Amino acid sequence: MTAYRLGVDIGGTFTDIVILAPDGTIFSKKVLSTPEDYSRAIESGVVALLAETGIDAGELTEFAHGTTVATNAVIERRGGKVALVTTRGFRDVLELGRFRSPRLYDLRFRKPDPLVERRLRFEVEERTSGKGEVLVPVDLDALDRLAERLVEEGVHAVAVCFINSYVNPENELAAMRRLQARLNDIPVSASAQLLPQIQEYERTTTTVVNAYIRPVVERYVSALVKRMRKIGVKVPLTIMQSSGGVLPADLAASNPVYIIESGPAAGVVGAQRLGALQGYDDVMVFDMGGTTAKASLIEDGQFIINPEAEVGAGETVRHRLLQGGGFPIQVPTIDIVEVGAGGGSIAAVDAAGGFRVGPRSAGAVPGPVCYAQGGDQPTVTDANLILGYLNPASMVGGDLVLDYGKAEAALADLGARIGQSTTDTAYGIHLIANANMMRALSSVSTERGRDPSRFTLVAIGGNGGVHAGGLAESLGIRRILVPPAAGLFSALGLLFADVEHYLVSAYYRPLADTTPDRFNAAVEPLAQEAHRLLRSEGFTDAAQREIEVQANMKYVGQTSTLPIACKAFPADAAQMAALAEAFGESHNQHYGYRSDGEPLQFVALRIIGRGRSTVARMPKRVARAQEWIVARGERKAYFGPNADWLTATVVPRRDLAKGAMDGPLIVDEYDTSIVVRPGWHAKLDDWNSVVVERT
Amino acid sequence: MKIDPFRRELIKNGLVTIADNMVVRVIRTARSTLVKNGMDFTSSICDADGDMVAQGLALPSQLGATMPALRGCLDYFGDDLEPGDILVNNDPYSGGSHLPDVFMFAPVFAKGERVAILGLVLHHTDMGGRMAGGNASDSNEIYEEGIRIPPSKIQVRGEPNSTVLRFIEHNVRVADKVLGDMKAQMAALNGSAQEMRKLIADYDVREFKAYMKDIVDYTERLARASIAALPDGEVEFTEWNDDDGVGNGPIKIHVKLKVEGDEITADFTGTSPEMGGALHPNYWFTVSITYAALRTVLPADMPNNAGFYRPIKVIAPEGSWVNPRFPAAVGARGQGGYRLRSLVLGVLSELIPGRMPACTGGSEFGIVFAGTEADRKPFLHLEYHNITGHGGGPDRDGQDAGPYCLDNNANMPVEVIEAENPLMVEEYGFIQDTGGAGKFRGSLGIARQYRLLADEALVNLRSDRHLHQPWGLCGGKGGAVARSLKITNGRVEELPSKFIKRFKKDDVFRAEMPGSGGYGDPFERDPRAVLEDVRQEKISIEHARAAYGVVIGPGALEIDVKATQEARMRK
Repeated sequence: MTAYRLGVDIGGTFTDIVILAPDGTIFSKKVLSTPEDYSRAIESGVVALLAETGIDAGELTEFAHGTTVATNAVIERRGGKVALVTTRGFRDVLELGRFRSPRLYDLRFRKPDPLVERRLRFEVEERTSGKGEVLVPVDLDALDRLAERLVEEGVHAVAVCFINSYVNPENELAAMRRLQARLNDIPVSASAQLLPQIQEYERTTTTVVNAYIRPVVERYVSALVKRMRKIGVKVPLTIMQSSGGVLPADLAASNPVYIIESGPAAGVVGAQRLGALQGYDDVMVFDMGGTTAKASLIEDGQFIINPEAEVGAGETVRHRLLQGGGFPIQVPTIDIVEVGAGGGSIAAVDAAGGFRVGPRSAGAVPGPVCYAQGGDQPTVTDANLILGYLNPASMVGGDLVLDYGKAEAALADLGARIGQSTTDTAYGIHLIANANMMRALSSVSTERGRDPSRFTLVAIGGNGGVHAGGLAESLGIRRILVPPAAGLFSALGLLFADVEHYLVSAYYRPLADTTPDRFNAAVEPLAQEAHRLLRSEGFTDAAQREIEVQANMKYVGQTSTLPIACKAFPADAAQMAALAEAFGESHNQHYGYRSDGEPLQFVALRIIGRGRSTVARMPKRVARAQEWIVARGERKAYFGPNADWLTATVVPRRDLAKGAMDGPLIVDEYDTSIVVRPGWHAKLDDWNSVVVERT
Repeated sequence: MKIDPFRRELIKNGLVTIADNMVVRVIRTARSTLVKNGMDFTSSICDADGDMVAQGLALPSQLGATMPALRGCLDYFGDDLEPGDILVNNDPYSGGSHLPDVFMFAPVFAKGERVAILGLVLHHTDMGGRMAGGNASDSNEIYEEGIRIPPSKIQVRGEPNSTVLRFIEHNVRVADKVLGDMKAQMAALNGSAQEMRKLIADYDVREFKAYMKDIVDYTERLARASIAALPDGEVEFTEWNDDDGVGNGPIKIHVKLKVEGDEITADFTGTSPEMGGALHPNYWFTVSITYAALRTVLPADMPNNAGFYRPIKVIAPEGSWVNPRFPAAVGARGQGGYRLRSLVLGVLSELIPGRMPACTGGSEFGIVFAGTEADRKPFLHLEYHNITGHGGGPDRDGQDAGPYCLDNNANMPVEVIEAENPLMVEEYGFIQDTGGAGKFRGSLGIARQYRLLADEALVNLRSDRHLHQPWGLCGGKGGAVARSLKITNGRVEELPSKFIKRFKKDDVFRAEMPGSGGYGDPFERDPRAVLEDVRQEKISIEHARAAYGVVIGPGALEIDVKATQEARMRK
């Protein structure tokens, strides 16, 4: 039997389906998403792709999935009916939030309403002090009465979050167990189990978001599994987490807060694995689609993990320094910066003659003017077409012929309003879009003190290859990598990720009072659980199970913690000292100073258990089954006032196998183009990526 | 020179990016939580003559603060500026704001010519003076409030000026924090100056300067076009501060707003004269707040620069409560600034009826607990909770706990307070029935209750709105007023809005902050919305009947339609 692997990534408009053959051949299909039940488009898309390729469903050995179902459940408020149980006096913590506004001067801005209405937020008599002493034990009889009420209300899930449970979860866990015993199959979750972190609002919200989306994700996963069984796909489903590892679907469904940023994570993981394979440890990922562009940094082969993300903000104007648009969730999330600039971003002139590009977007419908589907405002894609970067004969999978004339007329019109030629207007739009995207790229690099010029730019997404060249020039970057199937790279990246489990427990004590024995005794049960989970998933050989131990630490009196890796476990005295040293170093890196005299405090322990596959996750070379054959030839393309219009050679990707070619050059592909600017040359590497380098 | 609109957009984008980066540098390196949590800073880029061209993320109350503080420096130093210099100024009487806001400026040179000046203002934790943190309401002279740094050079040709730094070090309480933040501020300016030189190098110097001027002119055109879209007219509004911080009051604050074509004049004539205390805003603070409040009715993407200020004129008579004379104290002018916000938003509701919401709730609550713990270790807890939510609007309720768009201070997590101080927070939640009644209800007031766990502490409260409630609009009622309560062994004592008092172990302080104003006649409120508020326990059955004429129950939570009709008829 041949081992074909299936990856499915749901985006805003399209669902990308790829099947990867062991020899690296990629079969793919792009279908419109079906938001009322996303699994429907997946079923019909997979059926169609199997039929097209003649692959039998039984030949699939893996099914990895990236999904926006969890995020959408929050944004569209389609989650379950959740009750919140909390400490007397703190019923409104969830609704009060932090009073942060992401949109200054906007009187109309409202934060999202709380996910649990006030009447379903219940207070119980109990109290733990800030130092962790139980001042008032939890009133269990009252909980029994509350349980009856919850059944009457017909809630789908219950979240329990008590003040100071991050120091001592005793009361909270007692309440959770009592309620669970009375509520049978209504799931009850305790905040300290999900994330034992200080700050009651953030902890409560995370626990509530998890409970809220759980019924939706569970329903979705079971519907998907059922549909796939029906068509003969019987391999277990795994789902991408925000942190870049995949998780068996049933675990993801019961802790869905971990898969909020499922989709974007896959592209970064793919780029990281690709970089590692080709020997590029320092990579900047640039993912440009229709409405947004995303940037992420990989350094020494590692991507950066944020301890927190925000969900449910919807379409607010994003500013990297402003929070409060959504619900903060404290789960590890790959650091991805997003700006509202994409192929669909609309260009416009304001009342004072100022020129703007985005953040308004024409989206997929009506889309850019050149799609000729009713869009009448010129977009970045229209500009790129006029500049000669895109193939006017066909795009969007060859299904859509671009209307050059319409785009030209719209740009001429816009240019006339500010006294500029059509070409200058188109190039202006291209440059301003680049400037917007530079913000994303520089906020993951220069802003962190990294010099972007030493990074390799991996360009993915439908428009990545069109804009990467200009961005690289501005950033001083010397190498760009455009992998095959760049427009579907997130779906492909799903197949390169490892299984990853995050386990946490509260551990609030000063480092000075912690012996290695006590530390190890606290970590051991978590480590055992990670081993057990991994074994049950087939990682039976001990060498396949990688266990990473992290301690969340801070200086006594500080608010936020930093995750510090415990390199050797079980820990000895030397390792405990190493933790202190590593904390100082990390603090210096994050905040610019360290205070070695100050006492240190543990807050939580975290285990990351990874399952390493015995066979390579990545083929040695990949290629599309039907590489888009374009007519080889030439096209006029505009490269700015100095270079002016030049005649660019136009080739399909495979032509580069014969040897490097100089810019100006355009590689036309199935769903995108790669623009090689003058002064650069392009070649193919052994993985079939286009490598564009400074000449 | 012909201006290319694409080039202008790219330079504008580049300048804002540099200004934002300056802020990021400060957040990364600053030491105090005030900087990190309160977002209490503003970065800007001015042209060589001191006209502001671009601003990074700015605190609304610092919107117009940069140019006058820079003017104060330029008036003193003239052309005595060299590459690598950093100027400093915190003197409210030399263009500054209040003493904790320390302004710094770095001139940027290219080819020997001054091209731009970068500015960065940071609120510092302490500037000395009689009360830690410099927020006392009851100071009467600036001399009580700490060290005044007149326009000086804190860095000379790249070298820190140790004389100035040592003067500061010896006059502030938490010197390591303050000096640490100042060094972060200088480092951010130095880093951004380098970034700025790189940007300028891509252009001809003369061309670059021309574009900077043009960005300001362009903004002025945009501002004028937006102002012209507002209706012409002259409208007035009056607000009240309970007192001036030392027992005089109430303070009347009055504004007349005139929109004439593409210009706006805000005239504060008719405002009470300055008396004592430190709550009054000085002139430039009054101007900044006016700009910020006016921005709410102008396009969101308006650049913050000198061009935006040009069509706006602010008249604040000298010696009035909104423009006190030297040597008046201004340390706690933050509170007065909130009253100015509601005043200017109020006058806008007269100008464009049917667009503005009723008054935001809140008592501009700020509290300090200072004392020593059992182990003799000193503790100092300072927190602000300025506002409580949104006023009712012309088409919807005010959001409970909705964030304010003219302030970006976060509240402080209860668990952080308890982890760091001998305090227990016993309650933090909404107070039933406190939202201003209206067709569209104002947001609820909020209670915050603390128990002292140490033997003794000095408690300093700064708040307002104990006498004058947040106003309603178009027949909507005001939000409930604030209350300050001290509870000792079950005995409740009502305290004023501002005090400094000694508390003993197990004494409880309870702040009840006001709700927001309502919009429209409460008897026109949809009875189902009233019922929903009752179901959510945001209002009581009694309040539903008394304030809204909606009769619910008895028994099940249902509207008694007949009784409601009768109650609403009897109005």
